[in-house]
Amino acid sequence: MKIKIKQNKIFPYYLILPSFFIMISTVLYPIVLTLFYSLEYYKLTKPYDRKFIGLQNYINIFKDSEFYLAIINSSIIIIVILILGVIFSFLIALILDKQNKLTNLLTAIAIIPWALPPVVNGLIWKFMFYPDFGLINKFLYYFNFVDNPVLWLNSRYSSLIILGIIITWRAVPFCCILLLANIKAIPEEIFEAAEIDGASTFQKIKNIMLPMLFPTFLIIITNLILIGINVFDEVVALIGFRKLGEPFMIYNYNQTFLFFNIGYGSAISYTITMLCGFLGFIYITYLSKRWKSYEK
Amino acid sequence: MKNKKENIIYWISVTIFLCLTLGPILWCFIISISSEKDIFNNKNVFFPSSYSFVNYKKLLDISTKEGNNFLLAMKNSLLTSFITVVLGTPLAISTGYALARFKDKIISIFMGLLFSTLIIPLFTTIIPLYTIFSEYNLLNNLFWLGIVYTSSFLPLVTWITMNYFKEFPIEIEEMALIDGCTKFKVIIYIIIPNVYPIIITSMLIIFLKSWSQYQLPLVLAASRNIKPLTILIAEFSSKDLILYSQMAAAGILTIIPPMIFSFIFRNYLISGLTKGSS
Repeated sequence: MKIKIKQNKIFPYYLILPSFFIMISTVLYPIVLTLFYSLEYYKLTKPYDRKFIGLQNYINIFKDSEFYLAIINSSIIIIVILILGVIFSFLIALILDKQNKLTNLLTAIAIIPWALPPVVNGLIWKFMFYPDFGLINKFLYYFNFVDNPVLWLNSRYSSLIILGIIITWRAVPFCCILLLANIKAIPEEIFEAAEIDGASTFQKIKNIMLPMLFPTFLIIITNLILIGINVFDEVVALIGFRKLGEPFMIYNYNQTFLFFNIGYGSAISYTITMLCGFLGFIYITYLSKRWKSYEK
Repeated sequence: MKNKKENIIYWISVTIFLCLTLGPILWCFIISISSEKDIFNNKNVFFPSSYSFVNYKKLLDISTKEGNNFLLAMKNSLLTSFITVVLGTPLAISTGYALARFKDKIISIFMGLLFSTLIIPLFTTIIPLYTIFSEYNLLNNLFWLGIVYTSSFLPLVTWITMNYFKEFPIEIEEMALIDGCTKFKVIIYIIIPNVYPIIITSMLIIFLKSWSQYQLPLVLAASRNIKPLTILIAEFSSKDLILYSQMAAAGILTIIPPMIFSFIFRNYLISGLTKGSS
């Protein structure tokens, strides 16, 4: 009997041991190491000059004008993603909520953008916005709105807004599925009661659905912000590693792997991580609270 | 009257939704089958007068240079995804099960650590991984790349499996335990045969995510023989070659596997995604 109890106590650790090992070695250990790197002068091009310099890297970041540009660039992208993402997720969730023969097919189509590699997402939208043969320019030209092709990706602000749009395209399916699941969880009787009271569809959405979906909207907003901060693949596919309008992660990548400035790059990573950590902390405490209330 | 108006709005929005979702993909496909003359030189042409699949043939023919590169990258992508699915699925299932069924201090701490990595940007781990990998000569190795992939998807997929196991009736397991099964046997004979939906969901999500991965291979496996499709595509589009239609064809070929899988298994995916959030 004693043996059995002992086995039961150790048993769950056997189950998590492999994951534990992998997470420690490839995630947690590197995170700690990045912290140490961020406090060092460490360039791969000058490996023998490596030395401890304290917070100097962080001070340099806050003196770097490119860092502020990256913040502004990322903020523009995030604002576009938030506005479009919230609106479109909700509208598409409403479309998918309506039951008819097509619903299944529409849902299947709706999750396609989520499943595609972000790099290819950037590529296919590059064909939409390309000056000569982009579909958007062709339309503009066809209806005589413009005489010469518009160079969408050559100015900082238009390329950032376009980045926001195409990242929204990839981010919407996930948010939309979340909303849809929560819309379906609202008891049908509430809507029926409202209908008897003479509420229009718009009123039902505004007065019943939106307030009840408020927690889900918060989750979606946090999720969209995190996606916006981590924008990388689409930028590379759409406009490459150029300086004009580079968001956070491209800035980080260029500093770290283009100039091989490991120390400085690590400090940038940590700055961004702290930002994400703050957001994520709110997100996860909120989720776990919600989960606990759900369990009761 | 009111219903009719609502119906019209519904169908208009469905049309707009379809155009926005499928339009870019279709346009990419049209570019991939057009000849340079039609779409590229004439601003008013939307559909090519003649089309050819020559780009696809080239990319899928191992004897040409393009085909050789493309098929090699596809093989790398498939192999890495396969390694990741094989490694990651059992880990996600067993960890999710342990986190859902057993509660003590160590497990709670591990759970906190695991899920907090969900929000940490990739670059925080990628920089030391790069220095470690280059020190021990592990760069450009598909197996190690697969391990890193696994660790980056594990938190998300574990979250999903954990929520699934929380809903899975515990009574069945308890009955088996009373009948004298060991906990290990319960997993082999009771759990695994009964939880195939979550196994499929995990495999799918891990496959789709590793197929899409770009930043990790960019840093850890960008050499010619090892690079996956995503790297090849990005290189295509950053070098300003005038091979647009071939680039489009490569893009279409890259998205066919994830499209087919997500279409066939959409129900598993949707239930998984909603579990990953609630």
